Amino acid sequence: MTASQINIADFVSPSTCATPSTEDLARWQRGVLERTARQAVVAQGVEMTFGSGAVSSTVLQGVNLEIPYGEIQLLMGPSGSGKTTLLSILAGILTPTAGQVHLLGQEITGMSKEALANFRLNNIGFIFQGFNLFPALTAAENVEVALRMKGIRGKVAKQEAQDLLRQVGLGDRLTFLPRDLSGGQKQRVAIARALAGNPRLIMADEPTASLDSHSGHTVIELLRDLAKESNRTVLMVTHDPRLVDVADRVTHLEDGILVS
Amino acid sequence: MASIARKNLFEDIPRFLVAQAGIMFAVSLVTIQVGILDGFGRSTTRLIEQSDADLWVGAQEMLHLEVTLPIPLDRLLQARKVKGVQRAEALMNRTVVWLDSSDRIVPARVWGFNPEGQLFGQFKFVSGAIADVKQPYTFITDRSNLASLNLNQVNDVGRIVPFKAKLVGLTEYTQSMSSSASLFTSLENANAFGGGNSNSLNCVIQADQVQCLNPNGLAATALDQPQTPPRRLNPADPITYVLVKAEPGTDLQALKRDLEAALPGTRAHTKAEMTEITRTYWRERTGIGFILGLGATVGVVVGMVVVSQILYSSVSDHIKEFGTLKAMGASDWVIYRVITEQALWMAILGYIPSMALCLGLGVWTVAAKGIVILITPVTAIAILGVTVVMCVGSALFAIQKVTHVDPAIVFKA
Repeated sequence: MTASQINIADFVSPSTCATPSTEDLARWQRGVLERTARQAVVAQGVEMTFGSGAVSSTVLQGVNLEIPYGEIQLLMGPSGSGKTTLLSILAGILTPTAGQVHLLGQEITGMSKEALANFRLNNIGFIFQGFNLFPALTAAENVEVALRMKGIRGKVAKQEAQDLLRQVGLGDRLTFLPRDLSGGQKQRVAIARALAGNPRLIMADEPTASLDSHSGHTVIELLRDLAKESNRTVLMVTHDPRLVDVADRVTHLEDGILVS
Repeated sequence: MASIARKNLFEDIPRFLVAQAGIMFAVSLVTIQVGILDGFGRSTTRLIEQSDADLWVGAQEMLHLEVTLPIPLDRLLQARKVKGVQRAEALMNRTVVWLDSSDRIVPARVWGFNPEGQLFGQFKFVSGAIADVKQPYTFITDRSNLASLNLNQVNDVGRIVPFKAKLVGLTEYTQSMSSSASLFTSLENANAFGGGNSNSLNCVIQADQVQCLNPNGLAATALDQPQTPPRRLNPADPITYVLVKAEPGTDLQALKRDLEAALPGTRAHTKAEMTEITRTYWRERTGIGFILGLGATVGVVVGMVVVSQILYSSVSDHIKEFGTLKAMGASDWVIYRVITEQALWMAILGYIPSMALCLGLGVWTVAAKGIVILITPVTAIAILGVTVVMCVGSALFAIQKVTHVDPAIVFKA
């Protein structure tokens, strides 16, 4: 059992170990609530199986993970280890086959599709390896789209988009289309978009994988600064060893199991 | 705020232009088909609608305006005696053969009316005047017929076989698309023109053989020879309709019954009934409504296919961006709105040039061919509605694709 796991045995008195009493269960529930309240992200016994019967494939097995507020957590592991699947589950995009996920003190695994979408909209910023910017929109417009989705419109949205792009060092690229930006600049636009509406969680999937060394370094520093200055919690899936230096915690995943 | 829909649409200009060309084709096809159908319907009943008669009295066997049996002129005199009739005038319709200066024959239709009357002949004149047809062997016609009659201008002469006939006026909007060239003249001229086909071969039997002095009927009158003026009509001469203007306040249905009782072998129709009978005949019995309707349907189908393909490929190209929006927390409705807005832009940007094109085409076809592509405000609005429904309906395939997009695709590089 790892330190981050929450197990009912921790809350059960030795005398009643065999059969938990009502009091034990209540203590266990209080403990869960206290611990989830202290953590930005809590995953308990998360399992994910794709398909069914003979063709089923278990991608994640009994994953337990806690990420405190304001920390940068790296999730590393070889290809096919289940990193992206875990990230999708922790972001509320995929629903696990078993287990629970708490984000910012709220259990998201029981939420409806609409409630989950609303939760993501208000609390999570996303950064993708492929940037996923609208090619027909300028840098500022790509950020404005995210702001508009969060109910920020008109001149306020325009000003805020410009402020965010200046924050990531693209004040002079506001009207540039993605095709006119370098990979690093595109990723910085994506970061500005992720910061739109000031979310408390940032989920990043291989944010430096498509970038050269210099751009990658710029993005790494930017992510670290943004996390520390605004006390945001950042969960990054990456292969990039350069990111280890900026992370508060590093967890490895192998064959769907957290190994460290 | 930037519109994702609009920007996506204009992102790839060549593809946008191809899409708009497809929509323009579809909208133009629908507009032209509907316009021709309406124009055709209107043109077949134009003479009825332009008349000032409340009732049209014709043979009871009448099929539609141009296909009926003759009634004697005496019915006109009888009609004038029926209570409730304020005015009655005769209208004569004859099928004739026009022979142009190149000896080319053209089927034509002569309409004889009283040039001093009030119930028929309220034409829009381009040149000449209605009184001009009081001269012997003269006629007026729609200017769109000039080419088919091989005439250039007023005062040109040709033949309504076997008579020489002089063009004395030109009108607008008097030619039916379903009919051969309509030539308007006085009752006396029409009677002469219409009767001129008979006995014109001047044949006799000699020694058991038929000998014709005028084997094709064309040599009866040379263009430079004077002609005997048409004779006055007598009560036994055949006419086609008696046009009736009722006294103010008269019950038209009662007057119809009175006229039918007083005029044996006739049936009276109100102007609206006459219009409906004629329009229905052409639309339904000839299948032209079905054919033009089929063309319009094909236009809608083509438009839907084009718009579907364009929207679907546009959505496919941007599926990751749409997935990103979903991952970020956008509801399906946000994405539906983007696609629907894109479809609406395509509809409007396809509709405006199409309608302009069709209106221009309509002006040209009327001037050059006398074919009316009738685009009324109601038709234009209806076609805008069809265009919007066509484009938005086509967006359903794209919406279907986005609905099933897995937001997890955003994590795949």
